[in-house]
Amino acid sequence: MSRIDRYDAIVIGGGHNGLTAAAYLARAGKKVLVLERRHVLGGAAVTEEIFPGFKFSVCSYVVSLMKPNVMRELMLPKFGLELLPLESTFTPLDDDYLMRTADCDQTYREIARHSKKDAEAYQRFGPLMGQIGMAVRPILETIAPNALRPSLSDLFATKKLLDHFKTLSKEQFEYLTKLMTMSSADFLDEWFEFGPLKSTMSASGIIGTFMGPRSPGSAYVMLHHYMGDIDGAFRAWGFQRGGTGEVSMAIARSAEHFGATIMTEASVDNVIVKNGRAIGVALDNGDEYRSDMVISGLDPKLSFLKMVDEKELPSDFVRSIKNFRIRGSSGKVNLALDGLPDFTCLPGEGHHHRGAISISPNFDYLENAYDDAKYGNFSQKPFMDIILPSVLDPEMAPPGKHVMSCFVQYAPYDLKGGWNDDKREAFGDAVVNALARYAPNIKDIILHRQVLTPADLEKTFGLTEGNIFHGELTIQQLFSLRPAVKWADYTTPIKNYFQCGSGTHPGGGITGSPGEMAAKKILGIY
Amino acid sequence: MAKYDIIIVGSGINSLVAASVLGKAGKKVLILEARDKIGGLASTNEFAPGFKCNVIHDTVKWIDPRVSRDLQIESQGLEFIDLDVKRIALGSNSNEHILFHKDPLTTSDSIAKHSNKDAERWIDFTKHIDRLSNFLEQLYQLTPPELPNIGLMDALSMRSLLGPILKQGSRGLVDLARTAPMMMPEFMDEWFENELLRSALSTAGINGLSYGPYAAATGYNFLHQHLHSKGIIHNSSIIRGGTGNFPEILKQTLQSNNVEVRTNSKVVSINVKNNAYESVSIHDGEMIISDQIISGVDPKNTFINLVGAPNLDPNFHTQIRNIKYRGSTARIHFALSEIPEIQGIADEQMNTVFSICPSMEKLEKASDAVKYGHISNEPYVEFSIPTTINSDFAPQGKHVLSASVQYAPYRLRDCEWDSNSKEQLKQNTIQVLEKKIPGLSKLIETSVVYSPKDIENEFGLTEGNLNHGEMTLDQLLFMRPTASSSQYKTPIENLYLCGPGTHPGGGLHGANGFNSAKKIMEKT
Amino acid sequence: MRQGNQFDATTQLRLSPFFERTSKLNESQEWRRWSGYLSATNYELNHENEYFAIRTKAALLDITPLYKYIIEGSDSQRFLNKLVTRNINICKVRQVMYTPWCDENGKVIDDGTVQRLSENKFRITSAEPNLGWLEHNSLGMDLTITDDSSTTAALALQGPNSRSILNAVASDSLDKLKFFWMMDTNLGDMPVSISRTGYTGDLGYEIWMNPKDALSVWDLLIEKGKSYGITPTGLQALDISRIEAGLILLDVDYISSRHALIESRKSSPFELGLGWSVKMKKDDFIGKRALEKELKDGPEWKFVGIEIQWDELEKHYRQAGLAPGLPSTAWRTSTPLYNGSEQIGYATSGAWSPILKRYIALAHIKTEYSKEGTMLDFELKIEHFRKLTPAKIVSTPFFDPERKRSCPA
Repeated sequence: MSRIDRYDAIVIGGGHNGLTAAAYLARAGKKVLVLERRHVLGGAAVTEEIFPGFKFSVCSYVVSLMKPNVMRELMLPKFGLELLPLESTFTPLDDDYLMRTADCDQTYREIARHSKKDAEAYQRFGPLMGQIGMAVRPILETIAPNALRPSLSDLFATKKLLDHFKTLSKEQFEYLTKLMTMSSADFLDEWFEFGPLKSTMSASGIIGTFMGPRSPGSAYVMLHHYMGDIDGAFRAWGFQRGGTGEVSMAIARSAEHFGATIMTEASVDNVIVKNGRAIGVALDNGDEYRSDMVISGLDPKLSFLKMVDEKELPSDFVRSIKNFRIRGSSGKVNLALDGLPDFTCLPGEGHHHRGAISISPNFDYLENAYDDAKYGNFSQKPFMDIILPSVLDPEMAPPGKHVMSCFVQYAPYDLKGGWNDDKREAFGDAVVNALARYAPNIKDIILHRQVLTPADLEKTFGLTEGNIFHGELTIQQLFSLRPAVKWADYTTPIKNYFQCGSGTHPGGGITGSPGEMAAKKILGIY
Repeated sequence: MAKYDIIIVGSGINSLVAASVLGKAGKKVLILEARDKIGGLASTNEFAPGFKCNVIHDTVKWIDPRVSRDLQIESQGLEFIDLDVKRIALGSNSNEHILFHKDPLTTSDSIAKHSNKDAERWIDFTKHIDRLSNFLEQLYQLTPPELPNIGLMDALSMRSLLGPILKQGSRGLVDLARTAPMMMPEFMDEWFENELLRSALSTAGINGLSYGPYAAATGYNFLHQHLHSKGIIHNSSIIRGGTGNFPEILKQTLQSNNVEVRTNSKVVSINVKNNAYESVSIHDGEMIISDQIISGVDPKNTFINLVGAPNLDPNFHTQIRNIKYRGSTARIHFALSEIPEIQGIADEQMNTVFSICPSMEKLEKASDAVKYGHISNEPYVEFSIPTTINSDFAPQGKHVLSASVQYAPYRLRDCEWDSNSKEQLKQNTIQVLEKKIPGLSKLIETSVVYSPKDIENEFGLTEGNLNHGEMTLDQLLFMRPTASSSQYKTPIENLYLCGPGTHPGGGLHGANGFNSAKKIMEKT
Repeated sequence: MRQGNQFDATTQLRLSPFFERTSKLNESQEWRRWSGYLSATNYELNHENEYFAIRTKAALLDITPLYKYIIEGSDSQRFLNKLVTRNINICKVRQVMYTPWCDENGKVIDDGTVQRLSENKFRITSAEPNLGWLEHNSLGMDLTITDDSSTTAALALQGPNSRSILNAVASDSLDKLKFFWMMDTNLGDMPVSISRTGYTGDLGYEIWMNPKDALSVWDLLIEKGKSYGITPTGLQALDISRIEAGLILLDVDYISSRHALIESRKSSPFELGLGWSVKMKKDDFIGKRALEKELKDGPEWKFVGIEIQWDELEKHYRQAGLAPGLPSTAWRTSTPLYNGSEQIGYATSGAWSPILKRYIALAHIKTEYSKEGTMLDFELKIEHFRKLTPAKIVSTPFFDPERKRSCPA
């Protein structure tokens, strides 16, 4: 039995970028169909009730980089976007702690407790990064030019970008250069002396990448995370009420509002290509849908090595995609708790439960964690970025109970001997043990535990190698090189086949940006 | 008191090249050298009675062609020995090795014993490297522009870069932009599968760095080692009579260009008033005046120790302090009672460079030590037996084995660089060598260890970094040595730089000295 | 699980050693944050009595929140001379100098006083924390820098009766203590340093002490000062008097070049009316070359006093059917200044001066319009509508009593 329906555009994958692209296309009057393999929408940005009464942002857990114009243009607040600020970052230590809050003066005093010079430097650091972020943002908002054969408009766009850099002072330009090339540890060493401050700040330079804080290149990832923007305030992180899935749902509702059709449990097997043109898709169940164009929200490996036949693509492009580095390095542990973790260094309930909790006591700790992974093991003492969504939004858990979301590094996709159930549980144990070092009551209050390894992330969310960014954010995989030179503007070597996932410029995170820009590029063509 | 146009501090290869170029142009130049002989790292000495070694460099990777041409170094009698076998990479099993030959087809044959697929790709790879290094070769002869306000003149001065672009299309430039930030495994993944080959190539990527092959931009370092190689991988040549002969030859050029050289004259301060250079003071109290001064010593020594931090603008001071040195290569010279035998290596091949590099993971593991301030348990060892070429390096029948050992970080966390830690480094090194040269220990008559600390003390290199600053992406081009001193001039009037701390970095190539001298002549 | 928050306890707003007294005296319970301290805005429900205490009696202010650093060592003079724009080489022991300091581009980072405590020991005060900057610039010199901010408590006693009060309690007479000099003495049996300095432009002193003596010193001054009209005074009254005195305030009248993100936010000393404090003849100091150049080219901006012309101001109010109504406190919202339709500057703080009966303000003006006597237009909002009203550039200080500098005969 096969059905054939006709659309203007088909989007493969109901991740937040696919949905964003769909919403923009629908908004422009296109007849759009979104096909999602799973029963839930959102891709990596989903909320699921894993244990009865406990809701989890299963994979992606914070929202910081969502583009404000996407929120406005797609009217996301009307469709349920409600971002609550995460007001602090808490780093527990063995006999002390570091806590940075939304209040600059309080943060100054807290850092000054450890180092006065750092407290002073910190006051300069944030605004400077904001300034650099501001200069870099136009790059993120520009469709990447073709570096091989730049068109006139590519050259014009490049010139405009270069002009933007002239708004930076010499000193700021120097910092930008350093951010593009250095390790986050080296970069922070130039500013600060207090170890836990540096290691916690460096953590954003390793999230989602297979690098340690001392790996050159990690400073860029840190900058990437600094460009988060909530209510015009740079670097603020937010939690979506109801979990990250609600962000996707808001986009989905917006897309439907504009007339898009969204189907779940509709797994695309391949893109139908005829004479070098994409003409539709075929589902696993044999259904076929025809359309003028097909847009893939999947990662580059799936988009080009699975969805279409290699023979349809130029060989140097296939080689580039094969060489595209994806390497998953993180896992996720979701805990259902009977109460709140009680930290030895800061007992009781407090502000620190309302923000991010970072297990990143010093560079050595992070580097040790990285070393484990470098040689094919999961970290015995992993880095963790933790939030307690139920503290911010009580509806995430039954009354008095809590959910805890632990983003964990490192868990290499290529584990020596491969991932299996025992290894997964051992990894979960390592996470709980690392937590128990700072909050010993954790073992007593765990009601349920869900452990997701990169292999699980791949299997569940279709993320190749479990990489949350669809490809590492290293400078040779950015901008005009993401995912491959000449094809960084959302087009592909196959006519009418486009890409809009995090594997395209400007990369990962809940930004909506690749989806938005892909849609705008497509609308510019048609 | 004699009055000079230009004083040059230090007499490393770059200082000598700059002095020659300036002297030739009619400047009155004085070189002040702290040690009793010139040449800096191009040094050959007797480390035990009758035993000589090339203290730091056994080979020369490449020499700036402008230097060879302008200073006519070969016609002055410097003899470069261009061996057919450039290097032999030794794997973990006996007889497992790859031979890097001048002729890529021969290399390819050697690779074919391990992987036919890789052997087939070898010629393409050498062409690829040749193509990429073409761009760098042009870039290395330029003064980096001052960013971000790049002027028309800067843009014009970079037109030589257009040459290779016109010749090869912009694909080459894009490839360079992609390759430079890569880590070795990423670079290798695009080409090869055999671990020994991947690892052998990675050793060029980590040369002189404190990082392992898994660090970004080791791809760049690989290219840096292969400039002017015409695609010959691991290309290098050996100087007849020892690396120390290099400066000896330049001495003759200096003399004919009226350059005055004073050894045993340690500059203790560069005197600055109101931000302009005035004079230098020597250790014995003498003060010498000149119009300009060029420092061939590293940026930290130049600015913190000689000019003095209180004389620096705050921001420049910060930049100078932020330069990363992190010397982590040690040298060990062994005096041997007889020629050692390496499993599977023929006698006539014993004169090449050997690297022990069974896998990239081993190299990376060795590098982890730097992060934690330890000496590698199982270091990466690269060695040669200079007596196979210069028989006068040892008494009749005896030999010298000189090893470069990574990683021996300058900053040890739990101890100092004392005889204990040096002994530990030596033992770790011998253990690695023994695997390839069983019975080596029994041949060792004596030995000398140059830890980074010793290199600092002996040659005045901050933290013992041979490149006067790490060759990482953040310390290259217009960032080398700092954003406000990357054009060989410095914020201090009439004080210039010409050492490896400037663009294009370290090695015995003389490009820095040549570029710097050109820049100064432009100005005056 | 225990409730309560230890984090708050360690990083909550800081309390000055005088807080035990000031908190009880603060009738208005109006506080402002000053460098992380709770600082009284006004003690009484209205600040006017406190203002008049500064100008007619004696006002007692807790100035502990000032940042203070001790610089000690054989290179301390050399260091400070490199750091600040004034010539520290001529600063004698027990002399005090007010000075700005700049970055290498000649833009002001902060301003404060340098006290020479002994040959090789100085105290420098600042509005913002400066430890990092001081330490960075002292590298390679023989000295130590100690953050003295919380180890020294300080009071300002300002106003015409301040000398009489101190003479009544100090073991030494202050009659000989000259403007911008200091002395060591005892108040009761508490050792203190007294400098003849202040932020009011009046006769006044600042008293530096060990925090453990803070309450005793406070009590003694209040007790003995009662008959001289001593009045605990808050920041509102201080703000009016410092404007009358033409004294600048960091983050109000200018932004530290360390924190300014764009060039146009930075100011040189010449642009802040501090040209007199830049000593070009002394050896290299941070920013000298840039300032030399600026001096040659002429600064782009000038910092001036303006007086908003009363009669015209009154007319605007009359037209709206109102009597002139000015805020009784000082304002610090940037206010545009025009010449015709062109904006030529902006006033950064201003106040109705109760003692001068004039409406005055401090302003940044483009150099070409900065001559004394120049008339310009001041933007004003009356009943929600913008008006322009004439203002005149006048010399500062607006208020400069002879007693500020003089000593009794």
